[in-house]
Amino acid sequence: MKPALSVVFFTVSSGAGLGLMFLLVLSRFSHLAAASSQWWAAALASGVLLTVGLVTSTLHLANPKNAWRAFSRFKTSWLSREGVLAVAIYPLAALYLWAVYQQQRSLIVGLGIILTLLCIAVLYSTAMIYACLKTIPRWNNWQTRLAFPVLGLMSGSILLLAFVPQARPFAGPMAMGMLVLGGLLKLSYVVRFARMDGQHLNINQALQPLRKQQAGQVRLLDVGHSAGTFLTNEFMFELARDRALQLRWAMWILGFILPLLLLLISASSVTVWIAALFNLIGLLCERWLFFAEAQHVVRLYHGQSSI
Amino acid sequence: MKLGLVIDLDTCVGCHACAVACKEWNGQSLMAGGAPDYATQGAEPSGLWFNRVRHFEVSAVESRSNVSMDPGVGPTLKPIDIQLAAVRDIKAGGCSKTVNVPMSCMHCEDADCVTVCPTGASYKRAEDGIVLIDPDKCMGCNYCSWACPYGARELDQNEGVMRKCTLCVDRIYDQALPETERQPACVLACPTHARHFGDFDDPHSKVSILSLAREGEGMLPELGYKPVNRYLPPRAMPAIDTSSVQALSKVALKERLANTKIGQFINRMVSL
Repeated sequence: MKPALSVVFFTVSSGAGLGLMFLLVLSRFSHLAAASSQWWAAALASGVLLTVGLVTSTLHLANPKNAWRAFSRFKTSWLSREGVLAVAIYPLAALYLWAVYQQQRSLIVGLGIILTLLCIAVLYSTAMIYACLKTIPRWNNWQTRLAFPVLGLMSGSILLLAFVPQARPFAGPMAMGMLVLGGLLKLSYVVRFARMDGQHLNINQALQPLRKQQAGQVRLLDVGHSAGTFLTNEFMFELARDRALQLRWAMWILGFILPLLLLLISASSVTVWIAALFNLIGLLCERWLFFAEAQHVVRLYHGQSSI
Repeated sequence: MKLGLVIDLDTCVGCHACAVACKEWNGQSLMAGGAPDYATQGAEPSGLWFNRVRHFEVSAVESRSNVSMDPGVGPTLKPIDIQLAAVRDIKAGGCSKTVNVPMSCMHCEDADCVTVCPTGASYKRAEDGIVLIDPDKCMGCNYCSWACPYGARELDQNEGVMRKCTLCVDRIYDQALPETERQPACVLACPTHARHFGDFDDPHSKVSILSLAREGEGMLPELGYKPVNRYLPPRAMPAIDTSSVQALSKVALKERLANTKIGQFINRMVSL
């Protein structure tokens, strides 16, 4: 799949924003007293990350004037669900912040529960946008379903630690735990597709009617067009081998290994901020690869023998 | 009704007339919204097609090692590779076969492209099962094209909306046309009558009978979208006996000619 930079940035940015928001609300449950200025700064940051992400996501639309209609198919489309739930966060978050400001304890708990559920629901909807597509085996699996919520919470927990150092007893173990969990999840994804790539569907299956009375191998002779098409542009993206290798290393080192080591070594604010920054850059690499390495079934009709 | 196409892979000669007729009709169709071309005078002319014809080879030999393919625009096979492979097939006792496969929207019964559409622009008509796009609602997110395994949906770069086969919905119901012409443009254009249009819900329709008789199959049934269009598999034809022709080798022909009366006469004239 062709990686659209706007979508890569959007999923990482809003994922981190939602993860941070989830943990900020969670941290208030055990600490209902007045919020610190750092907590307010982090709350603002989570809103900015979410908003910037959502606005960026509209950049890949070819006809953005109809974007408002995306709220209309909540019942069937995960993309619609994501949009509706993400926008529903804003009034609720505003009300919640007012409750925190006024120290309305019952409201903080009540709205907090709804807000945490909503954050997870948006992250899960984003995951399902990709995981529900049977045409792309690399996305249609449980690892993808879990990856968006887990990686969102991972980057959010490091950001919480960076913004609110007092939250360390809670955010420190959370961040390190999520880094390990996210790393293991990604590892299982990589291992799965090292084994499964090319095993999902092949050209003989894609052209089943040809197989009826012909025993042999099917292959493309001529694709029927002389230059690129919408389909080759969208689905035939080729990832250069050395570039893929660089990005994979960047993903593992910047996204998981260095942040974990930095958090283990030192608790200083500078180290945590560097860890958060590395983690976000690593996640951008992860997300770019998530798109670039995914192979659509339609490739079988363009000369590839298996996906 | 369950309207759709039957495509006969046995008789399709891969002439692209269906694809061209489709573009001709839908390029001006208000229902389809147009099928624009891009950079027609440039180095890499491109365009939007609702129907694309691809050409495949089925080798007669099961165990031939798969020739490496470039997953880019097309295979990197040189013509000589294809010829060599064909020679290998013939030596192994069979002939490879070229099969032309036109593909357009399959008007799936369980159309995921409709399910995933966030705006409601993509819809499947209850009355006849045709899958359509309302360009006034489409936001051009490409999501439906990701959900389609057949590459049936392409983005109109000029208007920023998705386009696809309408099964010529603005032809098949047009009372102003003679009844024989109330068919999709691709079906009318096919010079080998490899394309047929009709109602699969009616067991007595031409498409139902053809599909049953020739064991028509849908593409990629394992994905579960229940494509309506049916492809009739190529029939296994007995190889034509060429032994009598092969016996007439060049030398044999020369000798036989020399033994005829005319041959003897010519030889005499020449030797005079």
